[in-house]
Amino acid sequence: MATDSATRAIKTDENRDAAGRREIYLYALRRFGVYLFTLWAAITVAFFIFRLVPGDPMNILLGNLTRAEGRQRDKAAEEAIIAQYRQIFGMDDPLPIQYLNYLRKAVLGGLDLGPSFVEYPAQTKDLVFRRMPWTIGIFTTSVLLAWIAGTGLGALIGWLQRSRLSRLAVVLSTLLQITPVYLVALALIIYVGYSWRLLPAGGPYARHLQPAWTWEFISSLLTHAILPMLSNIIVIGAGFTLGMRALMISVLGEDYLTFARAKGLSPFTVLKDYAFRNALIPQVTALAIIVGATLNGTFIIEVLFQLPGLGTLFVQAMGLRDFNTMQAVVLFSIFAVLTLTLIVDLALPLLDPRVRRTA
Amino acid sequence: MRNSGIIIGSIMLAIIVLVALFGPALVNQLIFPGERPGMRGSYRPYQLDSAQHPIGTDGDGRDGLMVFVSSIGPSLQIGVIAGATSTFLGVVIGFLAGYARGRLDTLSRILIDMVLVIPTLPLLLMLAAYIERWDLYKLALILGVFGWSFVARVIRPQVQSLRERSYVDLAVLSGENPLEIIFLELLPPLLPYIGYVFSLSIVGSMLAEAGLQIIGLGAGGLPTLGFMIAKGFRESVIAIGLVGQMLLPAGALIYVFLALNLINTGLDEVFNPRLKTTVEGK
Repeated sequence: MATDSATRAIKTDENRDAAGRREIYLYALRRFGVYLFTLWAAITVAFFIFRLVPGDPMNILLGNLTRAEGRQRDKAAEEAIIAQYRQIFGMDDPLPIQYLNYLRKAVLGGLDLGPSFVEYPAQTKDLVFRRMPWTIGIFTTSVLLAWIAGTGLGALIGWLQRSRLSRLAVVLSTLLQITPVYLVALALIIYVGYSWRLLPAGGPYARHLQPAWTWEFISSLLTHAILPMLSNIIVIGAGFTLGMRALMISVLGEDYLTFARAKGLSPFTVLKDYAFRNALIPQVTALAIIVGATLNGTFIIEVLFQLPGLGTLFVQAMGLRDFNTMQAVVLFSIFAVLTLTLIVDLALPLLDPRVRRTA
Repeated sequence: MRNSGIIIGSIMLAIIVLVALFGPALVNQLIFPGERPGMRGSYRPYQLDSAQHPIGTDGDGRDGLMVFVSSIGPSLQIGVIAGATSTFLGVVIGFLAGYARGRLDTLSRILIDMVLVIPTLPLLLMLAAYIERWDLYKLALILGVFGWSFVARVIRPQVQSLRERSYVDLAVLSGENPLEIIFLELLPPLLPYIGYVFSLSIVGSMLAEAGLQIIGLGAGGLPTLGFMIAKGFRESVIAIGLVGQMLLPAGALIYVFLALNLINTGLDEVFNPRLKTTVEGK
């Protein structure tokens, strides 16, 4: 009798584990479904917004070109050119057909988003891929560094909540957090870059160098990356510091910490295994939320520091009214943000057993 | 409402609003009686700081201080209009989503989360490329329309939790219709929270506007603080020695953000008293 109930207990335990595992898979599957759906919706919205807005891109483009060359606008010639271009870019079809073509090319054609208007026949895809490493590199490195620094600092400040030093740190990070990232970038460019000449503040690497696997080039690349990344790190890191501090303080109020201390665990163990770990979970969620806003900031930083990333590509394309390229940048940045958010969301159950069970 | 953050923030905000309203006229009357310091070509461009021109003159031959003082108003206006737009849209959608149940609820959550993660800056920029003539209201409305998802995202769970309270059940049983429940039962307790979200939206919109100006794609010519910073950067006024023409507008932006941040934190504490006890009490 006794052994029977024991085996049944083990059985139900196994069942629960299997159920838990199935729930994780279901959660991942559902999350992935939402991801695909969001991606499709974002692409669709982007497509329609830019075709329903008044103003024909071709018209604007040609107007700009003729104005730039200082010629009189020749109506007949212009219309012939526009007709030709519209045909090449498939803009004469009705909107739904254009939309289907666009989806088909984007999905089945290997992310084929059409040629660039201005650098025709270069594919926008290639332009974007060439620039993408810069943006993703600066973005992910600075967000990760900011997250690590902010989380560590915030945990420390939260732990030492009463001390004068931590109050100062709170005031300081509040000030930094509300400062727009581009103002920090401007300040770094103006003071560190030009007034004090400590670090280079423009361009991806020194102008006389060619990309190569030499120490000279790599060190130049790295020193040029310090200031752009620092602008991101300062602002985002301050936000993470404050967030982690608040989380730490609310965790520190919980009874199980008092109990852990009463059991005789050392303060450091309590901090590391009880307080920090529990405060960490919402902090990872915060990482997912901040991704979009930070990408916006990174675009501006690229432009200010003259780095050849997606932000700069976009601004250049915009100056030339190259709508296909602009659209490609928009889609790729949406894709990047959605994918990064998905990764964070899928990593969350690994950290938090509660999400695993209840998702 | 004895909350020092709200009081200090409001005073700071009131001061800058007063400067925005009366500053231009005052500067004109007191420092430049009978002149037109805000007109292009009134003075020699890029004059250094002097008693006559406290922060010098700008590249268009206007007095820097005058330009600065008259840039504050448009910046605040954009922030308030855009903030109000996104708060209004977000509250409406958040309430609908929070009040709905079942499939509609799931659908609205997915929709809000979806819009939330779409990076807005490239979309905004792309729209900016299409619009030939910008004015302040157009820019503010567009910024506002892009900001609702955040508001809806935070309002929805609040509505959901309020909806489950017993006093709402009582109202349903006593025969109030859904509109009455929303406006009489759910909205009033959420007002401080909506104020908090409004304040956050103002910050977000002003941030986005200045950002657009700084990469040179905003509504060019709109005299905002962001435009002044962008112009200063492009004309490298710091190298010339006109530090004030960058620091003042940058400082003013940070000042407004700080004031709103103080109000925010205060409103958040009013709405959510537990925040205060956990931070101060232990």
